[in-house]
Amino acid sequence: MSFNLFSFPQAILHVDGDCFFASCEVARHPELKGRPVITGLERGIVSSLTYEAKARGVKRAMSLCDVKKICPDVVFLPSDYETYSLYSLRMFNIVRRFTPDVEEYSIDECFADLTGLQRPLNMSYEKMAEKIKATLDNELGFTFSVGLAPTKVLAKLGSKWKKPSGLTIIPGRDIHLYLDKLSIDKVWGIGPQTTAYLNKYGIRTARQFAEKDLDWVQTRLTKPHQEIWQELRGNMIYKVDPDKKNSYQSISKTKTFTPPSKEREYVFSQLSKNTENSCIKLRRYQLATKKVFFFLKTQDFHYHGYEFKLIRPTDNPIEIIKMIDKYFNQVFLQDKLFRATGIILADLVENTSRQADLFNEVITAEKISKIFGSVDGISKRYGKHTLFLGSSFEAMNKSQHEGDRQIAAERKEELFKGETFRKRLAIPFLGGAV
Amino acid sequence: MIEKYKKQILRFYQRNRRMPNYAEIMMLLGFKSKNSVFKLVDKLKKENFLGKDIKGKLIPKNIYGELRVLGQVEAGFPSPAEEELSDTMSMDEYLIKNKEATYMLKVSGESMIDAGIMPGDMVLVDRSLTAVDGNIVIAEVDNQWTIKYLRKKGKDVYLEPANKKFSIIRPKEELKIAAVVKAVVRKY
Repeated sequence: MSFNLFSFPQAILHVDGDCFFASCEVARHPELKGRPVITGLERGIVSSLTYEAKARGVKRAMSLCDVKKICPDVVFLPSDYETYSLYSLRMFNIVRRFTPDVEEYSIDECFADLTGLQRPLNMSYEKMAEKIKATLDNELGFTFSVGLAPTKVLAKLGSKWKKPSGLTIIPGRDIHLYLDKLSIDKVWGIGPQTTAYLNKYGIRTARQFAEKDLDWVQTRLTKPHQEIWQELRGNMIYKVDPDKKNSYQSISKTKTFTPPSKEREYVFSQLSKNTENSCIKLRRYQLATKKVFFFLKTQDFHYHGYEFKLIRPTDNPIEIIKMIDKYFNQVFLQDKLFRATGIILADLVENTSRQADLFNEVITAEKISKIFGSVDGISKRYGKHTLFLGSSFEAMNKSQHEGDRQIAAERKEELFKGETFRKRLAIPFLGGAV
Repeated sequence: MIEKYKKQILRFYQRNRRMPNYAEIMMLLGFKSKNSVFKLVDKLKKENFLGKDIKGKLIPKNIYGELRVLGQVEAGFPSPAEEELSDTMSMDEYLIKNKEATYMLKVSGESMIDAGIMPGDMVLVDRSLTAVDGNIVIAEVDNQWTIKYLRKKGKDVYLEPANKKFSIIRPKEELKIAAVVKAVVRKY
């Protein structure tokens, strides 16, 4: 039985970079081709890995020593987020050559709406998908997996269908063939709870789920799952949203440091640095926070956190750090080794003019916010962290990681004349000697 | 001077998402009296930079500057610079044609010295182009990038250095060309 009479009532594309971070590295370093390559050295755990590493049994989030045991010839590289971001932007821009409707879903994934473009581009949807993939593979130097389908949920399923370097096209009338063997928990948006619930009704595959009738779905499931049911049947519910993300529910910054530390001052300065960074982001989006959650992570991966509310919304790190200082001793444990700190700013509101209070603190706050306006201006001109708070000094002044020289990303070491440690050209650097 | 004032008012507007009031303009521009603010506002109103609402509060108008349409200029000639400059390009545009496919490399060897490519130079390369005979290319030889002339004489394809001390490279298998060199940048 076919769920949809038409092949492409809408044509939605999902593009997914194959092991994106590790691939960016291999694309820049031909000497790494065919070798097990892993990124995340600065954190001491695997963040991205090539298929060669996967084949050797390496998994994400494994620790460095565990990896070395099973795969002694592994190439473990520090993350170079600057370069990955440049590649990511290029990936989105290449897809935008074909359609303006591109949703930047994450650093290595995007959706694109190709509906109605056959005539202007003078090619079929299948051909477009093929061409987009070929352009990405060629110009970025590594492979992408692509799914083309009438809905986002199906397109995402398509890009996962065959990896790496897959191109899976799911026309409306063939949907059932793909859903047939697909276990229900593999569907985007269906978690373990829903899987367990659906299993109780004997639903194991996506096809069994999609074959249920509307009435059945409406009486037993919530709206988000009803929507997934529609999407699986090829009826578009989720639109591709091309607007750049400029609204946030919360902003968080977490950073690991090595070696782990017992020193209160140092751990605090790490937290202070994260606070400053999160406030920079707040100000960039003209937001202010009302609720702060901060935490410390011990060497044995336990979290100790504290949450507090602010009297008025702020984007000022001094105000937040003052509060953190007050509660810091409640989470900081003597004689415990800490490896990371983090902060989450929640209850974000638009940063408009503030309400006056009894003690005229608002006026001082306004003055301070003017100072941070200038701090942002200076950062824009001379690079991030040109000016920072005294409380962050230890974290800013010391390298984030032990033996940073060996594990700083290559791009930060290999500078061209005129580039500085803080500001570099926005073009990916092909490494090695020529 | 007035351009500078406009810029400051614009910046206030961008930051606060509203127009400043008279007192704020006074502070912002360092004026001594509200009368001078009044005069400035009058001028800016005439320029259609801002306007006033029914209550007399300031509202933005062509605060981001207006698009100049040739042949419809109301006051005097348009600034010649703007139209003339529309036919110029930035250094980026000059050096880079396909932004998404352009990468840079640092030259370390001396094999291309006679082509004027020195150790330490930056080369800009394009991955989307198909290399032809005579192009300077980035090729992958023994799992390393190398920069050489590409020579194609019929079926004979090889890499040629621009330095007599180096020898020609004839790949045993298929020659892998990663990119075509489009520019050399050297900063002194």
